[in-house]
Amino acid sequence: MKLSLPAIAYLAVFFYLPFAIVVAYGFGYPEFTLKHFFEIFNPIYAQFFLNSFIIAAITTLLCLLIAYPVAYYIAVKSKKWKNTLLILIILPFWISFLLRTYALMAILSKFDLLFTFTAVIIGMVYDYLPFMILPLYASLEKLKVSVIEASYTLGAKPLETFYKVMVPLSKPGMVAGCLLVFVPALGEFVVPTMLGGVSITTLGTLTWDLFIKYHNWWRGSALSVFYMIIVVAAILYYIKRVGRLEI
Amino acid sequence: MILKILTVAVFAFLYVPIIYLVFSSFYDDGFTFRNYEAILNDRNVTTAFFNSLNVAILSTLISVILGTLAAYSFKKRGHFLESLFYPPIVIPEITEAVALLLFFKMLEFPLGYYSVLTGHIAFNVAFVYVVVYARASSIEKSIEEASYTLGANEFQTFTKVVLPLLMPGIVAASLIAFTLSWDNFIKTAFTTGPGFNTLPLLIWSQAARGVVSPSINALASLMLLISIVLSYLYVRISIREE
Repeated sequence: MKLSLPAIAYLAVFFYLPFAIVVAYGFGYPEFTLKHFFEIFNPIYAQFFLNSFIIAAITTLLCLLIAYPVAYYIAVKSKKWKNTLLILIILPFWISFLLRTYALMAILSKFDLLFTFTAVIIGMVYDYLPFMILPLYASLEKLKVSVIEASYTLGAKPLETFYKVMVPLSKPGMVAGCLLVFVPALGEFVVPTMLGGVSITTLGTLTWDLFIKYHNWWRGSALSVFYMIIVVAAILYYIKRVGRLEI
Repeated sequence: MILKILTVAVFAFLYVPIIYLVFSSFYDDGFTFRNYEAILNDRNVTTAFFNSLNVAILSTLISVILGTLAAYSFKKRGHFLESLFYPPIVIPEITEAVALLLFFKMLEFPLGYYSVLTGHIAFNVAFVYVVVYARASSIEKSIEEASYTLGANEFQTFTKVVLPLLMPGIVAASLIAFTLSWDNFIKTAFTTGPGFNTLPLLIWSQAARGVVSPSINALASLMLLISIVLSYLYVRISIREE
């Protein structure tokens, strides 16, 4: 216990205390008011919220649709290529979004797609896809081939097997993947700025503007508190749904 | 068959941009090292390189010490305070970044090297803790007990028995911590001040304006190479451990 004190003290001062300060500013420090929360729900910001939600939702859906067959292939069909494919899925986790988005930017500019909504979606899917494939792979890996074969033997058609056997059994992976993509995607800042330019405004770009450009700590903090509530709600939902938090 | 084609297509989607980037970093009217020469002779790049390296090494070192001690002590006796180590990993970085920015502003602490370093240590401690803890819980209690029975005190047991057993976890954690710090962008961007640039900030300052330049391609390729080498080492270590 004693040995853990330096680390705990460090996190208390440089992680938890800063969050407490954000909450305090959100409530109008040094006074106490709720007006900053009303300010962020001002209709002029509606577009930011809407854009973020639409981008995060489309990204999550596309990632799920693309990742499922790929994860299934790696988990069940890949045989001797399995380790190579797994390494290739894990490798992007070691490269920052900034670099990966920059790499994509070079190609998108060749196709004249830069600074469009399409570019942002392509970039989001590009960056977040591994976050969907990995948890899906983990849950499909546990699914025995014999279970699928049993379903066929019992007369189920491929589509039926998919809906009635595979989907229910891989649900924990789907829930984990969707949350791992949707929640950070809501607050994503790098991709919309680099690939969307000034035309695509999201919660991430709004946070940047409020803090870095306008130094509006109070409104920025209120926005941050709101986002944190969504994050915490997502985590609690996951724990309730899957029963535990595994990292 | 369709599955196979789709999988190949997805991997191509993931890797073609990266390969294209590396190729174009060697291209300027034919094969050339000119882009690399340009960045090596650029004072801004070399300064940012050493800044990045400095922050990455120091934050790794400090977080490994703090995180390992915590993992070891909680492994011996569980405690509810353990759960304090998970939020820094789960919470989106941008909320942590603005929190640190406000913290430093409130203390009127000058933004720059020290504020960036402080922030990097905060998330690295949590990652080190999780990785080393996983390793620590695989060590059987009887080994430590044997050490005590043979007359070693707590310090000796830690340095001569526990630490060598934890080493693979510590090395893996160091690699993760170094990489996270080395190419961190968001938290660095929010907590840096005038005059303190790191390599990711340098790339951002160009790329955020939509500029794709051969010299930035070279710089990004170099950073990519370092990330790939570190991840390769990590994979080697974890495969050997299995």
